[in-house]
Amino acid sequence: MNRRTFYTFMTPSLLVMLALMVFPLVTSIWLSMQYMTFRNINEPVFVGLANYVEVFEDIKFWNAFSFTMTYIAIAVPLQTFSGFLIAVLLDQVSRRIRGLYIAAFLMPFIVVPVVGTLMVKQLFESGGLVAWIYREIIGSRFILTEQSVKSLIIIHALWAATPFPLIVFFAGLQTLPDELVEASMIDGATRLRQVRHIMIPHLRSLFVFIGLISIMDAYRVFDSIFVLTEQNPIYKAEVMMLYTFRTAMSVQRLGKANAMSVITVVLILVVLVPFLLRTYKEQIEER
Amino acid sequence: MKRIDNRYALAVVYLLLTCYAVFSVVPFFWTTIQSFKTPRQANSRVPLFIFEPTLDNYTDLWLKSIPDDPMLVAIALVAIFGLLVLLAINAKRFPLPAGFVYIAVLAIGFAVLWFIPEYVRTQTFYDYFLNTIIVTAGTICISISIGCMAGYGLARYAGLAGVIILVVALGFRSLPGMSYILPYWWFGQRSGLYDTHILLIITLVAINQPFTIWMLRSFFMNIPKEIEESAMVDGANRLTAFISVIIPIMWPGIISTALFTLLLAYSDFLLVRILTQSNWTLTVAISKYAAGEDPGHITLAAAAAVSAAVPIIIVVFIFQGQLVKGLTSGAVKG
Repeated sequence: MNRRTFYTFMTPSLLVMLALMVFPLVTSIWLSMQYMTFRNINEPVFVGLANYVEVFEDIKFWNAFSFTMTYIAIAVPLQTFSGFLIAVLLDQVSRRIRGLYIAAFLMPFIVVPVVGTLMVKQLFESGGLVAWIYREIIGSRFILTEQSVKSLIIIHALWAATPFPLIVFFAGLQTLPDELVEASMIDGATRLRQVRHIMIPHLRSLFVFIGLISIMDAYRVFDSIFVLTEQNPIYKAEVMMLYTFRTAMSVQRLGKANAMSVITVVLILVVLVPFLLRTYKEQIEER
Repeated sequence: MKRIDNRYALAVVYLLLTCYAVFSVVPFFWTTIQSFKTPRQANSRVPLFIFEPTLDNYTDLWLKSIPDDPMLVAIALVAIFGLLVLLAINAKRFPLPAGFVYIAVLAIGFAVLWFIPEYVRTQTFYDYFLNTIIVTAGTICISISIGCMAGYGLARYAGLAGVIILVVALGFRSLPGMSYILPYWWFGQRSGLYDTHILLIITLVAINQPFTIWMLRSFFMNIPKEIEESAMVDGANRLTAFISVIIPIMWPGIISTALFTLLLAYSDFLLVRILTQSNWTLTVAISKYAAGEDPGHITLAAAAAVSAAVPIIIVVFIFQGQLVKGLTSGAVKG
């Protein structure tokens, strides 16, 4: 295919992406330098970098930032590890019964995030199943406090985001050559050593892939936290996206919200750039 | 791979897997049960598993008033949709191309849904359901049409520009939606498109475009070049070869991609929440049930959650083969 035909085929898609992805990002930088509320959408006031200064001095922003980092630090290793563990276990089970398990494991992945969160939340409502078990064991009612909301968020993250690494690792294990495992059996390797010395090295590139994707997903988590903390900002369980949302839509400080979103983009680029370089190399080799 | 042969070890494996399966499924199970309870039963001190189920939550959610002859309406609806499903299953037996039959079935089905409020007094929740269908269908149609051309171009062009476009698109896809949505909100306010379906559709198309072109490209790459080359030798130009030769054999890939686009458009929350005032989709509508003081909100929220989950579960059940294919192709989540 020559260059001209290529661009003919690409034009509609490229136009959409330029107009609605590249251009908005540039607009976002411009908006971040304006003082703008719902009242002066048409006549914003240029304030230079004042919004950025305000963001960096905002204690609530730093709270949201530190909770986002805590969330990433706990949720990502937890999801990756449990996904890997379940994938290894699933690999041991006979083919016929696997389908059933996979169907059950994929349910949280398929369901709409907001719906899934609402369903998890049902368990903790005053008449809920887990709230009841909690009361039977601990002896006191399950109440929403800052700590319990935060634990709820982590439990939900484990529930909702484990299926993705699980399926990817499971697919990866299917490509593990049988001879390798059999040879190690003859050498008398134990199960644990097989996992350590054969499976993990075999899946190394997938670990990197899953790790990067999960970090970026955890970084921009919004839906579930919005539902779990709705109408209760007192829980102090805000993540960066949620705080940006509230600054834009509740406090109506659009310039400041855009400044936060620009900061988020810069921070995410730290993780993204190595990932993109890796993809670029892969694609060049494949070509 | 050689499996564990120790019976006790195997029992532990099954136990752990079953525990995790229960963990995955229990919210669905519990929410469904709660949705059939009265608020009193749902709030009881000890969870009830045996009770007399009630449909009140669902009727409260969907209907303003129950029609005079509910059985008649129910039977009529079941009959119409049953007939449509039968038509779709037997599409290949008609003298027309199967594609026309599917499109006709979908159009009639949508028309029926559209005219239901003329005969039955429905709640706003039903309007949100219709909004969801319009936005999702619009997004799929536009996204797949332009994505197919781009995906094909990217699969066949060997130049560096193709790789750069792919990698940059992936980068844009990985940024948080918020960085696009706040400017969209501003465009929407200034252009007067705020709170319209059109704005939702074009922005959803744009946000999902990188994912769409990656996935369609991976399917196009599996189609041998010789197929369109032989058509082009016969005198067709590339565009006609693309439409008449490639697209017909691409249907499995297109359906797979459409399925993921559907899941993404149906579940999008942030974009719809910010860009609409009243023309919500189901996802935004049900988030309103997340909190509330009156005791009825738990059962109503459960009914809303189940109502929003059922269409997706039906679609996934019908197309489960394509879903697994898409997931394992590794293009997902680009």
